[in-house]
Amino acid sequence: MLFKYLFAKNEDIPAGSATIFFGFSSILWFIVGTGLGSFNAAKLAFPDFVTGVEMFAFGHMRQVHVLAVILGWISMAFAMTMMYMTPALGNTKLWSEKLGLWTAFLWNVGLGTGLTLLWCGITSGREYSDLIWPVDLVVIFGVLLPLGINVWMTIAQRRTQGIYITNWFFGACIFMLITTFLVGNSPELFNLTGLTEAYLTFWFAHNVLGLWITPVAAGIAYYVLPKLTGNPLYSHRIGHLHFWSIIAFYSTPASHHLLSAPLPEWLKSFASVEGVLILIPAVAFVANILLTMKGRWSMFVENVETKFTITGVLLAIPLNMQGGFQQTRAINWYIHGTGWIVAHAHLALLGMSSFLEVAAVYFGLQQMMRRKLYSLALANVHYWFFIIGFCTYWISMTIAGLIQGAGKIYEVPYIDVVIAEHPYMIARWVGGTMVFTGNMIWLYNMYMTAREGTLVPKGRYAHELAYER
Amino acid sequence: MAWKFDNPLYSLSDEEQNKRAITLWEAERHGDLWAANNRLPFPVTLLIALIVLTAFMMTMPIWGQRPTAELYAPMVQLMDSPQVKGMATNKEKIAYLTTEAMKAHEQAKDSRLPGLLERHPITWSDLQLMAPAIREIQSSGGTYGLESYTVVGDQVVLANFEGMRRPDGKRLRTQPWFDTGFIIDMFYVTYFIIVMVLVCKRLPHFSQKANPKKN
Amino acid sequence: MAFQNYRWGTAGIGGMFGLSMTITLFFPSFDFRSAESTWVGLDKSMSNGRTIGFSYEDPTVTGQGKPLTVILNKDPKTGATIDPPVRAYVYRPGTPFASPLNHPDNLGPTVKRLSIDKGKIDQAVKAQGAVFTINHADVNGEEWAYAENASVTRGWTVDAALSTAGDANTKYVGRGKSIYIHEGCWWCHTLLPEHTQDWQVFGTPPYLGDFNGEMPTAFGSDRKAPDILHVASRNSSREWMMMHFFNPRLVQPNSIMPRFDYLWGRVDVNGNPIDFSTWRKEYTAYRKGERPYPPEVPEYARNAEIRALIDWVLTSLK
Repeated sequence: MLFKYLFAKNEDIPAGSATIFFGFSSILWFIVGTGLGSFNAAKLAFPDFVTGVEMFAFGHMRQVHVLAVILGWISMAFAMTMMYMTPALGNTKLWSEKLGLWTAFLWNVGLGTGLTLLWCGITSGREYSDLIWPVDLVVIFGVLLPLGINVWMTIAQRRTQGIYITNWFFGACIFMLITTFLVGNSPELFNLTGLTEAYLTFWFAHNVLGLWITPVAAGIAYYVLPKLTGNPLYSHRIGHLHFWSIIAFYSTPASHHLLSAPLPEWLKSFASVEGVLILIPAVAFVANILLTMKGRWSMFVENVETKFTITGVLLAIPLNMQGGFQQTRAINWYIHGTGWIVAHAHLALLGMSSFLEVAAVYFGLQQMMRRKLYSLALANVHYWFFIIGFCTYWISMTIAGLIQGAGKIYEVPYIDVVIAEHPYMIARWVGGTMVFTGNMIWLYNMYMTAREGTLVPKGRYAHELAYER
Repeated sequence: MAWKFDNPLYSLSDEEQNKRAITLWEAERHGDLWAANNRLPFPVTLLIALIVLTAFMMTMPIWGQRPTAELYAPMVQLMDSPQVKGMATNKEKIAYLTTEAMKAHEQAKDSRLPGLLERHPITWSDLQLMAPAIREIQSSGGTYGLESYTVVGDQVVLANFEGMRRPDGKRLRTQPWFDTGFIIDMFYVTYFIIVMVLVCKRLPHFSQKANPKKN
Repeated sequence: MAFQNYRWGTAGIGGMFGLSMTITLFFPSFDFRSAESTWVGLDKSMSNGRTIGFSYEDPTVTGQGKPLTVILNKDPKTGATIDPPVRAYVYRPGTPFASPLNHPDNLGPTVKRLSIDKGKIDQAVKAQGAVFTINHADVNGEEWAYAENASVTRGWTVDAALSTAGDANTKYVGRGKSIYIHEGCWWCHTLLPEHTQDWQVFGTPPYLGDFNGEMPTAFGSDRKAPDILHVASRNSSREWMMMHFFNPRLVQPNSIMPRFDYLWGRVDVNGNPIDFSTWRKEYTAYRKGERPYPPEVPEYARNAEIRALIDWVLTSLK
């Protein structure tokens, strides 16, 4: 439906087209990602579930799950929010709707191709940067750079004097993500080897998370929450503290992922300290957002977007407490490489980050389609499936990780650890499947919103209207 | 830039600039949305100070300390003595040796050793298996002494602390209590705090009230 | 310099980010560059070839354009017995050289000097192929391993090396590692024993210099299965590996490893088609207790992918 605008004149494309394209793409990728996750989890619980076919082997699908979620769901949801928040915050229009649409189109095509190749085992063999370098180049120059240009130009031609904190995050994080992609993939581009390659792999993995996934999600919350509650953001300067400390402390701790590798010890010490210091942006963020909620806490119950956002912000607390401390030498020796880390990664991506983006996608799609959400009940069902599924996953994997850590330290034969973990693997599968089911409901809800949602009158916000169903 | 020397932490802008900034700020809406500029609540400031402190305390390399061969040297020395040979069970032998080693370490210059020994007990059979290696290192007088070797189960291996060097240019194999990474960190954090203070002090020193009309 | 003038702010971000990149990228590069390759590092990089994973010579990541690792117990030129047998890395004409052979800087300063002065690795020509070995030299009382171009120093030709070794002593190590990457084994198995009690079970963690020239290192981060860096030291049975890969539940009933029976390809060693469906039926019957023994695991063909994978495990992961 939106494809017809790909070759239209920029002026003829209705505002919000890029947002809608990105929004629905991101929901679809979320379903693909969580579906694959659920399938993979089933294989870990029941190893002979769909067996003997190369294409459905765990090792072929695990990385597709990870990248579909990171580059498909989360990053596209980010792009979607950038397409509507950036112009709104500058009281202006998006620099180019057409470029936005083409970015979304190329993103879907490029990621689809890259993940298909990955599924076939055509990989660079480097965690998180598994995509082969030609696809990486497409991602950098075909997707991230156009997205960046669109956002930067929109900020540059804003009609306000100031730049709101969300746009600081958007503009800087795209720049840092492009840098991260270029440097992180340099081992493939220039055949760098050995420890350099190992280090850059985790440098990339860490920085994608720290300079893209968490800060942009936080930036989104800075927009969504004041918007929904009508309160001003509590403090501009705490926002500054958050932003600066993200750049200072989140870009440095890469080597804490490799405490057991023979990297220079000084680099590990440096990274460990920086790793604890990521609690500074976390404290600033959580304090700023929760203080913004002052006087409007009833919305946590009444309004589904606020519910998602606040849940995401609250999950940032355990996320950063874990993240800050688990990487120190004092704790890392126990839990490194166990399910604890898997639980932590899901807390970051599926917990904190995804909840914030889900709220922003709900909000943005209603806003840009000028239609009120089809069903509040379904949105609440989505929320509860999501949160219960996520908690099941998180708690079961944390326990599994602690078992595994104990097994590692007390030299328990590995197979006994596998046996002990079995019930938690089943719980993990159940939790993941719940999230997947919730997302299917979400897609249906959004689709019905596009078709049958009540029209929102000009000058009003969707969340100000009463629900009809 | 007007720095107020009598009140340096007040603001980096003069009154004129502040006034203009406040007018602009109060008038400006970012797509129906605006930011107040409240101070960091004091408990949060304390929390941040605590985090910086914790970050350094928590990550001291001491936490990564693994048992060195030095730790068990007194036990190896005593294990063939007639007194030990006369004991009936291995448990008895190792208990005696541990007490003796503990005594030796308490007199030694390195105050970490007793605590380390407490955290890394050893079995008699492991001690027997690694004893020859420890004796060989002791007698060979090579580049690295016992303190540079780590004991893992029954193995004695050269410790893995690449990245630091000794004054003679050889690789350091013992864990430094405070290494280059921490020194870089001190500078880095200081730089961050200075930049952060400058950034905040450039903002007008006021706290915008929420717009009552909106609610 | 007024409020909400963003020139200073942007410069500040640039400075902060630049400083952090200097510390995390530029400073460590000096340490990385000074890392001297060990025997393990030379062995891994020379047996892996230029790069594992997607590359010009191997776009499908199935192990094309990789060198062969041969175990020689006779000198291919003179026929004299070599005891103990040595490993040689045979690059057939056109096979791209391993990264340290092209860029000796990757070997570290001392090993680079030895490999060029004594090992003559700079005289190898890709179009003609070459045979490399690892030799040892004494520098200031310390023993150093270095790469040696045996085609020049000992006159070993590619064909002679391959025929002397024979099929049994030819190991498809580079291809095997490609399959390890292709099949995603490293999502569960790690190649990095940790600095803790982990050592006692999985062996010594790698040293600095054990990775020079290796790409990708594929440490793995999410361990759902034992570390396998030294697995061949714990279990060197080819038959066990074969059964375990075909169906891990044959040797370890509680294993959650996937079956890799599809790596056998279509035919077994005698060229007979492998009947997977019958095998699975018989196996299911065995699991239900209807058969006393599980069905036989078919012997794989000489060029099957599983052969390369087992070769890599048993040769490289000592």
